[in-house]
Amino acid sequence: MRLPSIPAVLVLLALLLLSGCAERREAGGPVTLVFKHAKIFGPTDPIAGLLREFEASHPGVTVRSEELTWTSDEQHQFYVINLEGATPTFDVLMLDVIWVPEFAQAGWLLDLSPWVTREELAPHFPAAVAAATWGDRVWGVPWNMNVGVLYYRADLLAKYGLTPPRTWEALVEQAELIRARERDPKLDGVLWQGKQYEGLVCNVVEQFWASGTALFSDDGRVLPDLERAAAALAFMRGLIDRGVSPGWVTAGDEELTRRAFGDGRAVFLRSWPYAMDLFEQADSPVRGRVGIAAVPGHVGGAAGVGTTGGFHLAVNRRTRHAEAAVALVRFLGSERGQRALTAAGVALYPTRTALYQDPAAVQAHPYMPRFHDLALVARPRPVTPYYLMISTTVQPEFSAALVRVKTPRVALEHAQRRLEHLLAVR
Amino acid sequence: MKARARVWDVAVLLLLAVWAGPFFWQVRTSFTPDAELLATQRVLPASPTTIHYRAVAERSVMPRALGNSLAVAALTTLVALALGLPAAYAIARLPVPGKALLLLVIVASTAFPQIATVSPLYLLMRGLGLRDTWTALVLANTSFALPLLIWLLAGFIREVPIELEEAAFLDGAGRLGVLARVIVPLVAPGVASAALLTFLASWNEFLFAYTFTATEASRTVPVALALFPGVFEVPWGDIAAASILASLPPIIIVVGLQRWLVQGLTAGALKD
Amino acid sequence: MTARQRADRRAGLAFVAPAVLVLAGLSLYPGLWVLWLSLQQRIPIFGIARFVGIDHYAFLASDPRMWNAVRVTLVFTVASVALELVLGLTAALALQRQRLGRRIAVALLLLAWALPSVVTAKLFEWLYHPSAGLVNVLLGGRTLNWLGDPGLALAGLIAADVWRTMPFVALLCYARLLTIPGEVYEAARVDGAGRLATLTSITLPLLRPVLLIALLFRTLDALRAFDLMFVLTGGGPAGTTETLTVYAYRSLFQTLQLGFGSAIGVVSFMLVMLVAAAYLGVLRRAGATA
Repeated sequence: MRLPSIPAVLVLLALLLLSGCAERREAGGPVTLVFKHAKIFGPTDPIAGLLREFEASHPGVTVRSEELTWTSDEQHQFYVINLEGATPTFDVLMLDVIWVPEFAQAGWLLDLSPWVTREELAPHFPAAVAAATWGDRVWGVPWNMNVGVLYYRADLLAKYGLTPPRTWEALVEQAELIRARERDPKLDGVLWQGKQYEGLVCNVVEQFWASGTALFSDDGRVLPDLERAAAALAFMRGLIDRGVSPGWVTAGDEELTRRAFGDGRAVFLRSWPYAMDLFEQADSPVRGRVGIAAVPGHVGGAAGVGTTGGFHLAVNRRTRHAEAAVALVRFLGSERGQRALTAAGVALYPTRTALYQDPAAVQAHPYMPRFHDLALVARPRPVTPYYLMISTTVQPEFSAALVRVKTPRVALEHAQRRLEHLLAVR
Repeated sequence: MKARARVWDVAVLLLLAVWAGPFFWQVRTSFTPDAELLATQRVLPASPTTIHYRAVAERSVMPRALGNSLAVAALTTLVALALGLPAAYAIARLPVPGKALLLLVIVASTAFPQIATVSPLYLLMRGLGLRDTWTALVLANTSFALPLLIWLLAGFIREVPIELEEAAFLDGAGRLGVLARVIVPLVAPGVASAALLTFLASWNEFLFAYTFTATEASRTVPVALALFPGVFEVPWGDIAAASILASLPPIIIVVGLQRWLVQGLTAGALKD
Repeated sequence: MTARQRADRRAGLAFVAPAVLVLAGLSLYPGLWVLWLSLQQRIPIFGIARFVGIDHYAFLASDPRMWNAVRVTLVFTVASVALELVLGLTAALALQRQRLGRRIAVALLLLAWALPSVVTAKLFEWLYHPSAGLVNVLLGGRTLNWLGDPGLALAGLIAADVWRTMPFVALLCYARLLTIPGEVYEAARVDGAGRLATLTSITLPLLRPVLLIALLFRTLDALRAFDLMFVLTGGGPAGTTETLTVYAYRSLFQTLQLGFGSAIGVVSFMLVMLVAAAYLGVLRRAGATA
């Protein structure tokens, strides 16, 4: 056997060494990303599968998934305290849309603009994209969409020849008519979330919009039309007074109201898209009998529009693995990622509009096109870094009006005064 | 006459058992299966189960929290004793300049509401990077445990006859020696009861622990209990089990060591 | 000054210094710092730190939520302390006459006091459950919404607090009663004094210093109470159980408004110090005339 020539050996050695170095640089030691997200409900956990898929296509990267606490307030507190601190204990976070401006302003999120272009965001709902951008930069990738909707008992409405109400006034008439004729004392009219928490703000804000006013005017004034806002709050209280809504709605959150409606104990329910999958489960008493409509408007006010909500994915600015983290975020928010969530039957609605027309998705959830139409026209709650401050300020006032501790007018005056104090001294 | 007294005794015991009833109800709840929980009809559960305790031990943060609480309470007690014993001796026996003012300040700081000092302490812990550490909680707990401890110990020390100290001086001991070899052995029961009270106060502390801990891993027992996760419905059985576990050390201290506890409480209170 | 006295002075300073330094750093300094914070608009997460003088106090002076918090705090304090004193005294007197099973009796009594306040909160939250809670079941199946009804929540909170702290008062009185020599009662009996007379002319006067101490401690504790109401009701419903402490905490940490929240904390601080000073004045006068 002829010995290889020395130059050839040297070249071979050099190549070997270089390739070894390159591999080491690529792996850079194993990278572990920590992904913090809220618990996902449903028969299967789609996230685990997606993460494994991501790991397979990104060798050297493992993703550890950690669950957040259950309530939104606790999640927020966790994030605030952790993101403020020095050491990054997680890289990718799942954020409620209302927190994005706040976290961006606080400098906790990695600016994703270098990686995520406007074109990449185009397939998502405009409202979702608006919530992911702040100060003209991109801070998050839209992941799941929520919109306030009205559920109704299609069977009951059909029985009395009624079409889904376009105004709250019509809804009240229908509810009272149906209750009178059905003569079922356990059947309530309309259920909504009146407990003192973020859900209440969504309900009240929708009522404000239906009455032709809003929490903030375009030029940033607080409660610009106190009369109309007070009338809207008074209307909500009136629902309880007239018995159209049961007294316990003032302690009702999403789950409490969803269960009651799902057990057939109400004609109408104002809630979120997630509930529909639960209504259509095999053992649901209302299976096949629930219709979806837009949140009603008010006579002499405006057409009904739901609030948007949902979750975005963002990257901790202090992450040590920016490239990998951004890759993960873009993967989860990609068509593949969002499709997996929809397919898992976990009632997590995607932010990509095209998926709502996807044949597989529509077959599993026939009502998806309906949600799509409603989400297109939905409005966000005030998009401001101070949103949480605003929400926690108005929640007790709204609640006080609903439980008759204050009149709606007085409650809103107090809210206005406090907000002006907290926001004016910025 | 004796029968009347016996009836009285039993009646009082029954009334006190009723007063402690809520606690026993929680014990009962912790052994009641979920199916029976929301339909309260029987006094004792039809089919008692340990499923809640298993859930708490295996799938909750309580075991970790118990460890955190134990460490923080023990460390607080040690630190408070190390600082408080010499200080109490000095206040009881030595001519400290400005003693009256010092006493006033110490007593006043026991009245400081935690809510007033929590915001500066939050900034302090944040600035020192001490969030989620035992150090932060030990420091915070010491801030309210120390004045109380000094006050109690000073009272006990004053009871020691001064002649014993004089004798030690004649033998050539310095102040530190007197403290260590004469005072401490004599006030040991008092120190023990004061230490127990400090441990108890630290174990039960909630506000600072809630504010200075963020991650699940660093929570103490009260915080873990307050933030006990519930998915759709509140897991009353699991919470009950966690509550009982959280209460074991305090109950052991208070009930098992009543005598010493009474001594510690009343000595400080009555020696005004 | 003798050498010994000089040595003593040095030793005194050395022994006291560590504790004083720690207290100064962790209590006194924060006590002053919170005042400074209350004069600022301080939002750490946005890096806002601006001096605004007494703006927060001016707002709070006419803030309905602040006055509600003061009212709730005072109602809670007065009701709790009154009930604790009466029930605690009764329990102590009952224990005094106990012959058999005294240790068990004291153990049962102390059980409520031993529990961490969060445990008590969770305990009562379950007891007050509208459908499955023991309270409603014992009331014959009524579905009173103890923690959700604005008219009931404060009463429910007070009941929970009294349950928890009555044993402390009872213990203080009981310990004092133990020190009353039996001869005193013998003499009273020989003089023909009835039960009531013995109680009012002998027992109560002897208990007076302890009762005053208990009153002081319990009042200060009730004014500063936080854990129970925060975990049990969170200040709700509609602020009917929102004490000053809860109002301050929510302002501080729900939105990290450290300036505004500190102002509320300072108000709470002032209230507590005021009451403490007033009590000490009363105590000193009572001690002088006793």
